[in-house]
Amino acid sequence: MDKDFANRRRRELITAAFFAALAAVVPLFVKDVYVQNIMVLTLMYAALSQAWNILSGYCGQISLGHALYFGLGAYTTALLFTKFGVLPWFGMLAGGVISAFIAMALGYPCFRLGGHYFSIATIVIAEIALVLFQNWDWAGAALGIDIPIRHDSWVTFQFTRSKLPYFYFALVLACIAWLVTWWLEDSKWGYWWRAVKDNPSAAESLGVDVFNSKMGAAAVSAFLTAIGGSFYAQFVSYIDPESVMGFQFSLLMALPAVLGGIGTLWGPVLGAVILIPLTELTRSYIGGSGRGVDLIVYGALIVLISLARPQGLVGLFSRQAKAVSR
Amino acid sequence: MTALLETRGITQRFSGLVANSDVSISVGRGEIVGLIGPNGAGKSTLFNLIAGVYTPSEGSIWFDGEDVTALPPAARCQRGIGRTFQVVKSFETMSVIDNVIVGALVRNTVMRDARRKAHEVLEFTGLGARAHVLASDLVPAEKRRLEVARALATEPKLLLLDEVLTGLTPTEAQTGVELVRRVRDTGVTVLMVEHVMEIVMPLVDRAIVLDLGKVLVEGKPSEIVRDPKVITAYLGDRHAVGA
Repeated sequence: MDKDFANRRRRELITAAFFAALAAVVPLFVKDVYVQNIMVLTLMYAALSQAWNILSGYCGQISLGHALYFGLGAYTTALLFTKFGVLPWFGMLAGGVISAFIAMALGYPCFRLGGHYFSIATIVIAEIALVLFQNWDWAGAALGIDIPIRHDSWVTFQFTRSKLPYFYFALVLACIAWLVTWWLEDSKWGYWWRAVKDNPSAAESLGVDVFNSKMGAAAVSAFLTAIGGSFYAQFVSYIDPESVMGFQFSLLMALPAVLGGIGTLWGPVLGAVILIPLTELTRSYIGGSGRGVDLIVYGALIVLISLARPQGLVGLFSRQAKAVSR
Repeated sequence: MTALLETRGITQRFSGLVANSDVSISVGRGEIVGLIGPNGAGKSTLFNLIAGVYTPSEGSIWFDGEDVTALPPAARCQRGIGRTFQVVKSFETMSVIDNVIVGALVRNTVMRDARRKAHEVLEFTGLGARAHVLASDLVPAEKRRLEVARALATEPKLLLLDEVLTGLTPTEAQTGVELVRRVRDTGVTVLMVEHVMEIVMPLVDRAIVLDLGKVLVEGKPSEIVRDPKVITAYLGDRHAVGA
């Protein structure tokens, strides 16, 4: 029994290493900048959705306000760099830590709310933060921040001539997010989170610290999300409140996991690989006037998934999940 | 030797309704004690008070020489109070073994140890073959056993069983009775709420009868079943006459 489990864990790790290696060689053959751009975003959203999945998928606290942590990561990095000359790498770390603490500070009152009320609170808080940033003059208010281009270097994490460095960083980020999830899955926290999601009062009776489980999940989730935000700020080199804290980011982080399989290790990756290219392509080929069409595509996908396969696409690949869906 | 569990003058009110009134009971180490009484007698409330779901309006609860009145459920579990739920509360999206691992993590910090402990408990409770099945796929009798397994994995000193034998077929109930005996044989004290008299009475060392939130009588099962007060509580005055 034990050996089966250890084998499964090892198999997951090998599968992940295989796909990571595969992804790493793709840019050697795909030189098209537009396609490379989509690949960067896909990896970034795979990482972000994996982060979201920790709090919302494993621990069951559905957040629709993760744009807040994404934006905090982006703003921390950009502000520290433009105002104080702090390198983005430190900014990234600072953004992660700040977001983790803010997530816990917000969790303190919000985790007392049950079910949908928690989700509503997360939307409201993210929207308030958006308005605050739109009116915060020191942080550029609604105009945002232009990150000055110095020269292409890993030191300042800026690259104007090639997207490849961003691609590899995004790949590493996605791998880290996956590994963290993989590791947490077979830890006390992983079991506690799933227990809290399934039945908080039963969890409590088994010695689970329900409140701190949620706090822990929120901190890890926010930290990783902020790293993604920092990366995005460097990638686009210009941020404003709407473009890093808008509600659509909260959705875009949740949807891959929901599509792929919420609360599963592979769901976010699978969902991102399907959803993000689809979004980008509809945006450029159909949605000439911009936003809207991609959201219709999401909507349609979500409806299809919830009708045909409520446990997510990941079930198509796992024998265990197939047995479950029976 | 002091009692393992003692409630001292517990009163619990729910906005005017008195569910428990001045309840003082004690459970000795190694005993199997039955908590019985008609519907609405306050059995479940007393259970939840002992498990820490509620804090009593008045009175105190002592466990293993410590006042645990103010402790939340998780802390009581760590002290050694394990419980099952009357309406089963399995972790439905988790496998049977994972359900039990959650309990085992109370005393095991290393995952491998927790997993081993969980497998042991599953063998003990006869769920070994179902370890990798999702909890939602278990039949009701198995779900009841999973409740017990999960609680046992926390290595409790006192196990609170809330109607684990109710609603089972006679064969399943008999298996359950044997399980409870084996649990006690491992040194765990058992306090059980039960409805099915003919199953409980041969099993318990002592029974406490609650009625209208108060302790009506307590004693050996053979005495309890003949007690006119108990018969009155269950069947009404008319039937007590001939007793």
